[in-house]
Amino acid sequence: MDVLTNLADGFSVALLPRNLLLAFLGALVGTMIGVLPGIGPITGVAILFPLTFSLELEPASALILLAGIYYGAMYGGSTTSILLNVPGEASSVVTTLDGYQMARQGRAKPALAVAAIGSFVAGTVSIIGLMAFGPLLSRLAIEFGPAEYFVLLVAALSLISSLAGKNVFKALIAGVFGLMLATIGVDPGSGVPRYTFGQLKLMDGVDFLVVAIGLFAVSEVLILLEQSRVGAALVPTGRRAWITMRELAFSAGAMVRGSLLGFVIGTLPGAGASISSFVSYTLERRLSDRDQTFGKGDIRGVAAPESANNAAAGGALIPLLTLGVPGSGTTAVLLGALISMNITPGPLLFENHPDVVWPLIASMYIGNVMLLVLNLPLVFLFVKILTVPRWILMPAVVVISYIGVYAVNNSPFDILVMTAFGAIGYVMRKLDFPLAPVILGLVLGVLMETNLRRALIVSDGSMSIFFASPLTKFLWVVVLGVLVGPVALSRVRKARQQVVDAEAEL
Amino acid sequence: MADRITGAVLLVVAAWYTAESRSFEGGALAGPVGPGAFPLFLGVVLGVLSLYLLVRPDPRPTWPHRSMWLSGGTVVASSLAYAYALVPLGFLVATTVELVVLGSLFRARLRSVIPAALALSLATFWLFDRFLKLPLPEGLVG
Repeated sequence: MDVLTNLADGFSVALLPRNLLLAFLGALVGTMIGVLPGIGPITGVAILFPLTFSLELEPASALILLAGIYYGAMYGGSTTSILLNVPGEASSVVTTLDGYQMARQGRAKPALAVAAIGSFVAGTVSIIGLMAFGPLLSRLAIEFGPAEYFVLLVAALSLISSLAGKNVFKALIAGVFGLMLATIGVDPGSGVPRYTFGQLKLMDGVDFLVVAIGLFAVSEVLILLEQSRVGAALVPTGRRAWITMRELAFSAGAMVRGSLLGFVIGTLPGAGASISSFVSYTLERRLSDRDQTFGKGDIRGVAAPESANNAAAGGALIPLLTLGVPGSGTTAVLLGALISMNITPGPLLFENHPDVVWPLIASMYIGNVMLLVLNLPLVFLFVKILTVPRWILMPAVVVISYIGVYAVNNSPFDILVMTAFGAIGYVMRKLDFPLAPVILGLVLGVLMETNLRRALIVSDGSMSIFFASPLTKFLWVVVLGVLVGPVALSRVRKARQQVVDAEAEL
Repeated sequence: MADRITGAVLLVVAAWYTAESRSFEGGALAGPVGPGAFPLFLGVVLGVLSLYLLVRPDPRPTWPHRSMWLSGGTVVASSLAYAYALVPLGFLVATTVELVVLGSLFRARLRSVIPAALALSLATFWLFDRFLKLPLPEGLVG
């Protein structure tokens, strides 16, 4: 069993005291970030990534830290969903439905425990899935030529756009905007500077971290400035035990189903954690809601989406590591991080960098265990963060953003760029443009252009290469389905509704 | 209406971006795909998408409240000023001032925001510069 030895090696690296400490710190800081409303995994990973340079971490250790932040932030998001009815991130919105109801009935502890245990089960499922499918898919992907890659990137971007927002066109505009940002700077193919406005500092292009922090963190501060919402009241938690064996057995099925479903959905580019949690909640409700208890504090309504969103985070690593195609905003930031450590994810990653891949996979598992043993006892401490007055919390977020952005190049110019993107992000959110496709486009733009170039050099300028292989044909069908599908569906639905309305009137 | 304005702005951006892409020369190195080809493609796609937005806007996007223009504008302006002041003034001074400005926007009283800003900038400076070895500009006080 080749895979098992690799995994054992991975664990031996991840279990080094220093890496364990990093995983612990990542989970801890990540949870604190996740508890803050609106500041989720993307922002957390983006702001803290520059630290990995200053601490001179090796790639494996850096990734362990980032993975801890990622997981911690997701878990922190569900904590506030349950205790405050305030989802920390999009992926924990559904958790509020039953989680907050449970908390109001004095069952906050079982809800928090089942979220953590569900995440742990999901982590186990996704580590098995990664071991099984990761190397397999990367072996398949080795056959990909530049044309296949180009079409794959087009498909990934359109999938993400079709799922990211309410309006497909706005999501596509956001994706194209990201791609355009990627063309700023010296073109690697020809050495020609593009869209630099004569600014020397733009020759290297705009850094994805600077854009991500601006779009997500700064715009969030602006949004919060607008809402004068007072802090929500904490639900009393009751004195009872964390969770009973009966409750555990009762929700076991939901956890396993949520994990499997979440993992599969997570592997699809664009689907990611928020969709998987939503889908698995709906499915669980269909399957198990015999007594109409869902939405009224059913523990399975917490177990299913919480397992699913964590499994999706594991599943999202598969396209990221094997194809170099991130499936979500957070994995796009992880991809950018990998690239700036001179590690190019893709089919060769498993072969060339087993010293990075397997410790990362192992550390995700360790991160899960840490969340389980560390966060449950400390959960009420984390929630206390929300009682810090907003006038100190939000400026602190801004200052940490400044430090993160400044650290990328030691250049105050990046703070200007970040501020500009903060304003752009605010306007985009006001107008219902999703932000994640921008980051994705920015990270994927260079890859896309390079593969376009390589493909057309191979084919001597003939576009037919993009339609030559069965895989590219299949991917074009996906693109078409994704872009035309929702529009057609809504037409059909509208037409049907009109028929129903007309019949009702008769 | 908001969407139509956005569509129009994006159309102008797309036109400028596309026009600019025609001016890139020296593509001999790059083979059949010169430096302008990919941008040209993107510009055209954005143009088409923004036309669609012009023709079929979303029904009712919400505009920011009027008071937001002032406070949001202050955040942006102070942040830009911070970028220029950071190196000459140093992290501690620039950050303390910025924290006071931002804290006041979130309706804090000066009496409480000034000591908090001072403490927070000292703490972050110590944490990141001294402890995590992420060099921050020292400027006036280091």
